[in-house]
Amino acid sequence: MHEFSIASMIVDTLVDLAKKQNAKRVLEVHLQIGQLRALSAEQVRFSYGILVKRTILDGSKLLIEEVPAAVHCSACGYDSKLELKDEMSYHFALPSMVCPQCGMALSINGGDECTISKVTLELPGTGKNGRNEREG
Amino acid sequence: MRSVSEPVDVVTSDEGKVFDIELEVNILAENQRLALENKRRLDAKSIHAIDVMGSVGSGKTSLIKAMISSLKKSSRIAVIEGDVTTTIDADLIASEGVPTVQINTGKECHLDANLIRKALDRISLDKLDLIFIENVGNLICPAEFPLGSDKRLVVISVTEGPYMVLKHPMMFMGADVVAINKTDLAQAMGVSPEKLSADVAKINPRAITISTSCKNGLGVGEVIRALGLNRS
Repeated sequence: MHEFSIASMIVDTLVDLAKKQNAKRVLEVHLQIGQLRALSAEQVRFSYGILVKRTILDGSKLLIEEVPAAVHCSACGYDSKLELKDEMSYHFALPSMVCPQCGMALSINGGDECTISKVTLELPGTGKNGRNEREG
Repeated sequence: MRSVSEPVDVVTSDEGKVFDIELEVNILAENQRLALENKRRLDAKSIHAIDVMGSVGSGKTSLIKAMISSLKKSSRIAVIEGDVTTTIDADLIASEGVPTVQINTGKECHLDANLIRKALDRISLDKLDLIFIENVGNLICPAEFPLGSDKRLVVISVTEGPYMVLKHPMMFMGADVVAINKTDLAQAMGVSPEKLSADVAKINPRAITISTSCKNGLGVGEVIRALGLNRS
């Protein structure tokens, strides 16, 4: 439900960044969404599509990568991806924060991100060799 | 006459340089920063803040009212009420005689740290021990937006059926205390508070789960103790 407000934060951030870089266009945006964020990639994408209209981001490609949840147990040192239980009767996966090794409480060690990790910008050309020169 | 080698041709301006910029911009960082600011502001005045979240109609306002009623002799309390619209809940709370600020989110489905910052500007923090922040009724979105509270209380009720916890695991993962409310209706609903409590324990073994009924006051004192609000 709050994907629209998240998408508008993403768009505002990118418009600022593009302005600072004096970009002509934004071509690609890489977004990482953790499995533990209550964010639907599809809804973020939908909102993004609406919000970028008539901005420097119009026409940009939004690439969303889902980051799996990782957990850590400080009691026994267990480190793993979060175990998801398929409960078919409910049609969703239930994360459990109980350590499968020792039964203590786990803490989250990843999968809670909502991060712009990379942006591809087109900057004003400076010469005939300008196009498609990629820099890290 | 100008030399042809001067860099002023139109073709160049159509051609852009393509750059990849690697970065790590956390979209939720601004809310987290403001939440931390709220927390520091409250800590500086030794004020406890409780974020009360839960489904629509689960009894968040009733439970807050019951806690105020029991705490107001020993603590100076204020309430921030979040709702999409109306001041119905704020009016109910204000009847307890504590300062109340209503936040109407308009369209947003949750409170955020910025709205809390604005609400705190309207409260005289010098004469306060405790703030209850009642979030918008919603078991999904508020989990994503920390406000700067000390503890998060999630309120659900047996009238919402037996699967409320399992269907909203994210909300319970961040909860410190969970109240299973309206237990006076559990039998009529055929819903087991013990089963709901076991579901919470599976998702978040750190959370303290308490069965409550605001109608007869059951469990209210336990919730107060679990939140660390009892002053002797």
